[in-house]
Amino acid sequence: MVMSWFWATIGCIFNAALVLVLAPLFEGILRKVTARVQSRKGPPLLQSYYDLFKLLGKEDIESGEAPWAQRFAAWLSMGVVLAAVCFVPMGFRAPLGGAGDALVLIYLLMLGGLCTLMAGLAAGSAYSLLGMSREMMLMITLEPLFAVAMIVGAVHANSLRLDAVLGGAVYEGRFGVSGLLMLAVSMASFQALVQRVPFDIPEAETEIMEGPLSEYSGPKLALFKWARMAKLVVYAALFVALFVPWGSGLPFPVGWVLFWCKMLVLVLVVTLVAATHARYRVDQAVRYFGGMLVIAVFALILATYGY
Amino acid sequence: MLTPEQAVVGAIFVCLGGAVLTAVVASRRRLAGWAAFFVTALSGALVLAAVARVFAGGVSEEPAQFLQMPALGFALRLHVDGLSAVFLVLSVLVAVPAALYGIRYMDHYSGYGVGRYYPYFLVFLAAMYGLLTTTDMMWFFFIFWQMMTMPGYALIRYEHRIRQNVRAANKYLLMMQIACVATMVGAEFLALTGAAATGGGGLKYDFESVRINLPAMLQTRPTASAIAFGLFLIGFGIKMGMWPFGQFWLPDAHPAAPSPVSAMLSGVMIKTGAYGLMRYFLWLPSPAVRVEFPMASWGALVVALGTITLFTGTMQALRQEQSKRLLAFHSIGQIGYIMLGAGACMVLLAKGGGIGATLGAVGLCGALFHVLNHGLFKALLFLNAGSLLWATGTQDLNRMGGLMRLMPLTAATACIASFSIAGVPLFNGFASKWHIYVACIAGSSAAKYLAVCGLIAILTSALTLASFMKFFGASFLSRSSKLVKERFASRRRLEVGGLMQVPQVFLAAACVLLGIWPALGVGVIGMALRQSHQGWGEALAAGTTASGGAWWGVTLVNGAAVFAPAGVALVLVGGLLAALWVSKAGGASRRVAEPWLCGYAREGEHNRYRAHGYYGEIKRLFRWVGGGWRGGMVEESAVASRGNDRKSG
Repeated sequence: MVMSWFWATIGCIFNAALVLVLAPLFEGILRKVTARVQSRKGPPLLQSYYDLFKLLGKEDIESGEAPWAQRFAAWLSMGVVLAAVCFVPMGFRAPLGGAGDALVLIYLLMLGGLCTLMAGLAAGSAYSLLGMSREMMLMITLEPLFAVAMIVGAVHANSLRLDAVLGGAVYEGRFGVSGLLMLAVSMASFQALVQRVPFDIPEAETEIMEGPLSEYSGPKLALFKWARMAKLVVYAALFVALFVPWGSGLPFPVGWVLFWCKMLVLVLVVTLVAATHARYRVDQAVRYFGGMLVIAVFALILATYGY
Repeated sequence: MLTPEQAVVGAIFVCLGGAVLTAVVASRRRLAGWAAFFVTALSGALVLAAVARVFAGGVSEEPAQFLQMPALGFALRLHVDGLSAVFLVLSVLVAVPAALYGIRYMDHYSGYGVGRYYPYFLVFLAAMYGLLTTTDMMWFFFIFWQMMTMPGYALIRYEHRIRQNVRAANKYLLMMQIACVATMVGAEFLALTGAAATGGGGLKYDFESVRINLPAMLQTRPTASAIAFGLFLIGFGIKMGMWPFGQFWLPDAHPAAPSPVSAMLSGVMIKTGAYGLMRYFLWLPSPAVRVEFPMASWGALVVALGTITLFTGTMQALRQEQSKRLLAFHSIGQIGYIMLGAGACMVLLAKGGGIGATLGAVGLCGALFHVLNHGLFKALLFLNAGSLLWATGTQDLNRMGGLMRLMPLTAATACIASFSIAGVPLFNGFASKWHIYVACIAGSSAAKYLAVCGLIAILTSALTLASFMKFFGASFLSRSSKLVKERFASRRRLEVGGLMQVPQVFLAAACVLLGIWPALGVGVIGMALRQSHQGWGEALAAGTTASGGAWWGVTLVNGAAVFAPAGVALVLVGGLLAALWVSKAGGASRRVAEPWLCGYAREGEHNRYRAHGYYGEIKRLFRWVGGGWRGGMVEESAVASRGNDRKSG
């Protein structure tokens, strides 16, 4: 008992530290590749680290009428991501897989989105609220998509436990059609889950100036930005665990390296899509995800019939 | 030592006596308020004593008989079993804070006497105690139902000089009478033909005799019994606000009543419909009639209606801009979750095979837990809306904003309630919804459609979050409106007084407690099911697994689903502390500034982002669900405008 607690704690700290340290690097790669695709030189690979460090020391301007809500939203946005990584396998088994199931993870990740909403509401300027409203509309359509991907796995595995769902269970069944459908749907909506172009509608820097975050600066902005970078890693890890599980069973260094290679490939795909597409309008995005949701429900029905 | 039934009868008489007392002292408002509170608390103590005895295993074998009229074929027979106990606990948990809140709150209706408030409030409460325990399906059901409906009517039209309130009360009265007739005709169908089949008896409308007659009845008169159960579903469906009936009366009635009554209506009264549904569909039939009684079909119907109810109710709520009207639509939505859980239980009991009882128990546990949780957080939300009304004099969310600074405690409790209803983990709403989702997803192997219904429920919880982000954000966060600034300038203090804070804090604490310790709630419901011996009660009790699990957690369906809130809370707090440290590490200084609007415009009332603007695209996309702007505006309460004059004059 004591040993299992010990290992769970070590695993949680290890996962959290790993994500915190690697997330800006992934962001750096993303920025560099985007620049290359668009025939620019791009910032140094480590620029995201410099940005974060600089922001952490800069003046913190609070313009909302509820400063406590603003502060809490910023802390929570990072806190939720750090909590979520404890439930996600990062090349190893999820350290806290026994404390929650797929549904808990879905809602924990939703809590991350909720921080952005709180941030926008607490700042309260027209741009923040516009961005917050858009963020919520995207959450409404995206959360069920992500939920279906997990539930399809859960229905096949006949269990909601994380270790059962996050191990390629989506492809089980007679033909694995539902799993393949959900793979396609998740590929098509992954950009939105990690809040990147063409679905960065809530932030839309060129239009509504970072939306919910427009009133934030200094350490709070650093936390929000860092959390967003970490979100890319968390969702990528979930995607890999759900849909690309092959090879995770290999012995330690091989399986672990393979996992991070898969992550890297996924981030490159995200980058290429982001660099070559223009932002959608919010109504287009909502309709698009509505269509995806119809396909997802179809996949769920197939899954219940064992396909 | 009182038996549970004697204690409940005592509570009913305490309430009725209190009604007379408060009517006598009604000219002294404060005294009447305190009297009503102490009477409510005393009756609550009696009821809790009864419940404690039931949970300790002291449930009576037979209903207790207090009054008999064999010539007319009815008797006052009460029975407190586990199922009644859960609902009784809820009514006490909501009624006592509501009564306490009312003492100060009613001061503000200076143009209306409290003689038409406290007595009705207490009769209303007594009727609910009675309705939740009576075993007479005809006459005493009628008496208690009317005792609940008539005072409810009077309380809804309390501000009778506003025409809309009178109209809302009339609608409520009409719908409740239809529900009453439907349920009584249903009972008549079951009892008459049942009595004919077995030769009749002195107490043919008694729940026990109907239950014993039911197998014979189902064999000889299958159509009549199907009609009877259909009428029960309609009758209780109207009461709880099921689609399509709920939309007729509920969204008009709840905002019209004074806020503590809204809390009672939404927190407890509509739950008596859920109680009836569970009692008549799960405790009346038993495993012995599983062949004759098409439980799977009834369950499928309840699941379908529940799914439609939860989606339409919540989607319509998303369009509301009046605080209490928004909450009322959410009551419909949340009742949908309760129906989904209860319906899934019925389906899974009938079709689940070997694991059916376990899965069914998960569904019913979820439904009952959601009954409790919804009562707590919705009562709290209505009290919050009452505080907002008290402070700003309006229910219009468009005219509020930035109140968190001025009403910090109300804001904190409203935040907890909003997170609870939206199903944020570590708050109580999540724990019960999680049970319902698990029943739907794990049960999809037995009934395929349950998975899709569960998914719609998950989608709807995102809609609920959206709606409550609007409710909370538009009132407490965002920027101060003109109205709020004026009110603050004239009154200097907008936060409600201590007597109105205590009930809000109590309910918020209960929400948090059940959220981080759901094993407590599930444990109580498990105990309740083990003390309910009729019908499917035994099977369900056998299906509940009272596993505490590690980290204070709950483990369902042989470990297929786990939720350990303590573990989640621990890592969340760890993450928060890490974030806190990181944000302090750079030693950044803090400064307050105006928001930046691109330098073009100054902040003002005309460019404030109001509640009307939220989620335009989703509202447009789902226009066909209805619940639109029409009827959204209510006349300003007379109290509020009077309050304004007095303070500014």
